[in-house]
Amino acid sequence: MRFTIKQTSCSGERIGLLSGFIKSPNTTIETPTAALLTQGGSVAHLTADVLSKVFSNPQLLWMPLSSMAHLETGAKAQGQGVAKFVALPEHVVCSTFHNMNEETPQGHFESEKVPLWTRNGKKMITADRYMDMMEVFKPDIFLAIADGHTSLDEGHKRIVKSVSRTCNMLDVCVKRYKESKQLQNSSLIGVVVGAGLPSKCAECIQQIKKYKNTLSGVALQGITDGTKESYKEPIEKIENIFKRVGDAVPKDLVRIAEGCWNPAIIVAAIEHGWDVFGGSYPLELTNAGHALVLNYDVNRYSGEACVLDLNDTSYRDDFTPVLPGCKCLTCRKHTRAYIQHLLNTKEMLASVLLSIHNLHHYDQLFYHARQHIASNTFSVFKSHITKQYDVAKTPYMNGKHDSEMTDIEHLKKKVKISNEEIINGHNIMNGIA
Amino acid sequence: MRSGALSFNIKKECNVTKARSGVMKLPHYEVKTPVFMPVGTQGTMKGLLPDQLEELDCEIILGNTYHLGNRPGTDILEKVGGLHKFMGWNRALLTDSGGFQMVSLLKLAEITEEGVKFKSPYDNSEIMLTPEKSIEIQNCIGADIIMQLDDVVQTTFQDYNRIKEATERTSRWLDRCISAHQRPTEQSIFPIVQGLLNKELREQSAGEHMKKDVNGFAIGGLSGGEAKDDFWPMVSLSTGILDKNRPRYLMGVGLAIDLVVCVALGVDMFDCVFPTRTARFGCALVNTGQLNLKQKQYETDLNPIDKDCTCQTCKNYTRAYLHCIVTVESVACHLISVHNIAFQV
Repeated sequence: MRFTIKQTSCSGERIGLLSGFIKSPNTTIETPTAALLTQGGSVAHLTADVLSKVFSNPQLLWMPLSSMAHLETGAKAQGQGVAKFVALPEHVVCSTFHNMNEETPQGHFESEKVPLWTRNGKKMITADRYMDMMEVFKPDIFLAIADGHTSLDEGHKRIVKSVSRTCNMLDVCVKRYKESKQLQNSSLIGVVVGAGLPSKCAECIQQIKKYKNTLSGVALQGITDGTKESYKEPIEKIENIFKRVGDAVPKDLVRIAEGCWNPAIIVAAIEHGWDVFGGSYPLELTNAGHALVLNYDVNRYSGEACVLDLNDTSYRDDFTPVLPGCKCLTCRKHTRAYIQHLLNTKEMLASVLLSIHNLHHYDQLFYHARQHIASNTFSVFKSHITKQYDVAKTPYMNGKHDSEMTDIEHLKKKVKISNEEIINGHNIMNGIA
Repeated sequence: MRSGALSFNIKKECNVTKARSGVMKLPHYEVKTPVFMPVGTQGTMKGLLPDQLEELDCEIILGNTYHLGNRPGTDILEKVGGLHKFMGWNRALLTDSGGFQMVSLLKLAEITEEGVKFKSPYDNSEIMLTPEKSIEIQNCIGADIIMQLDDVVQTTFQDYNRIKEATERTSRWLDRCISAHQRPTEQSIFPIVQGLLNKELREQSAGEHMKKDVNGFAIGGLSGGEAKDDFWPMVSLSTGILDKNRPRYLMGVGLAIDLVVCVALGVDMFDCVFPTRTARFGCALVNTGQLNLKQKQYETDLNPIDKDCTCQTCKNYTRAYLHCIVTVESVACHLISVHNIAFQV
């Protein structure tokens, strides 16, 4: 895989191109972009046939090992890689260890092993075992195994461990990768962990720089442990991490951000040069019965909500599309009232229709972001998006000040790592300092 | 031809059996018969898009009056202008009367000459489903074909007097349904031949229905687990009496072997929840029976469910992959439903 930067603006946002995939030489993917989250190898709720009704061109698929480890036997028997095995051969696969949107049990670490939480329970995975599995799955892009499922409130000792374990495992991954015949057509991504502790995080980045001729990109973990709480950090704090890490890694590497970030944080990360985002957010909305209706027209916005909760019975007789004017199959053919009925009767088609809309509309966020970067108006677009998350009473307000959280909870959180350390003395967090 | 809501043209008849093929022209679609109608209970077909159903060559699907009357409710269906518009389905629809739910919810129901008294499983309130009420809801749903309310007794029921009562009551309710029907030019009402496994009562029921001015007939009370030796003769008996020139619908029957036999007995329409229900448990239908994809033997089986099947599932997916995701991912259920419907249709 090749990553080419086509345009960079002075404040850091950039347009890039992923290309040179050996199995599909004509496929290109423009960045910034979001990958589509898969479960058990399939895009959640969508068959290959329905997916082709949503996107006519090849997409980047996000495949966490935690939800596809059980495909190993079958994929090995077929021998042509996971994309082919899951009947999505024309798409590009990016594989990672865990889904950063899932909570996993605490602890269970052994030296040089990371617990993989699958539907069949815990499996202790070494870097070697991980590389064995990657050789079976043959993803186009894969993240090195890392111990990065930690939140910003994680204790000092735990982060030190997570950084050293990740660095050691990267050595194994790089060595195995260079020797591997099966992975010649795959690109390896280094993983930055311990984001909450700048000194340790810098160590991790140093280690990645050591291999910068082997690695194709950098992924960022260690901001969230998958819990809802960990997504409630203030936006400034998270933006600052994206900036700090973005500035420290080599410019020519593709930057991948894991986690279920809302569009306000995504545009902030894009501004700091992040290129690829894991696709948890639209699925999170779909599973909650919510529809993304973010407004992308910077000239027209009058304070309407950016997310609709279609469980709400007020949509019972609302025979308008989810988002009037939207070109997706759901909006062209179905109404809010019908989706409300499907949610109310717990019918599976609700998730299918919501997935179609949410994936399409979320993809439009990145399309518009690229347009604005190209025309040097990204800052206008960014504040247009941020504004909608500021005013709307929106579910899944991750990365925002949470008024529901009491001061005591804030204080409890503070004990573990000092905030100054996290944000270098800038942007003192509300309610804590 | 009776009313404009349905015209039935027989294209070909078998020389040996009573089988025939034809075209049933309905307000929303021309349906080729014999036809299998998948069941979309609550205004949706288990996770499949209307577009997918069209691609599967489904020409008519079934909705359940009892469920639709509760949710979304007649007020909503009236506002939007019927179920077709509500669910975005442009082809033909058929609704049952809501009466079949009596059998499945028998503990909650009390049957009198007036109608069926239910306790709503949603909010425990008492609902009286009369023949008039059933037709009122079905008029509101707006399906191309609607069913009379019938008095249903379980197939395995033995008490002659109760069966006789149900059969005769069904005929009385038919008259009430026909006179309550508000949209005869857009919707065809089918009477239901009752009488369970009793020859005389079946003959009586079919004979009485034959006198009515209706566009087609249904044969009911034969999907409750009775032996094939008992059930096929009843079908044959009914089709022997019913008018050759009007379509015949055998309710709730959908196993492949029954379809073949009953087509030979002169049945034109079938419905069954079986293909989609079984899909949820990972069972795929094939000529030799069923594949339970959950079984370990499929772990490395790189064949499609059926190599001769042209459905999207068989074109793209292996048994080995389906084995990995059945009963876990909703996608697996959609994929097997697609195949099973393709298999039945």
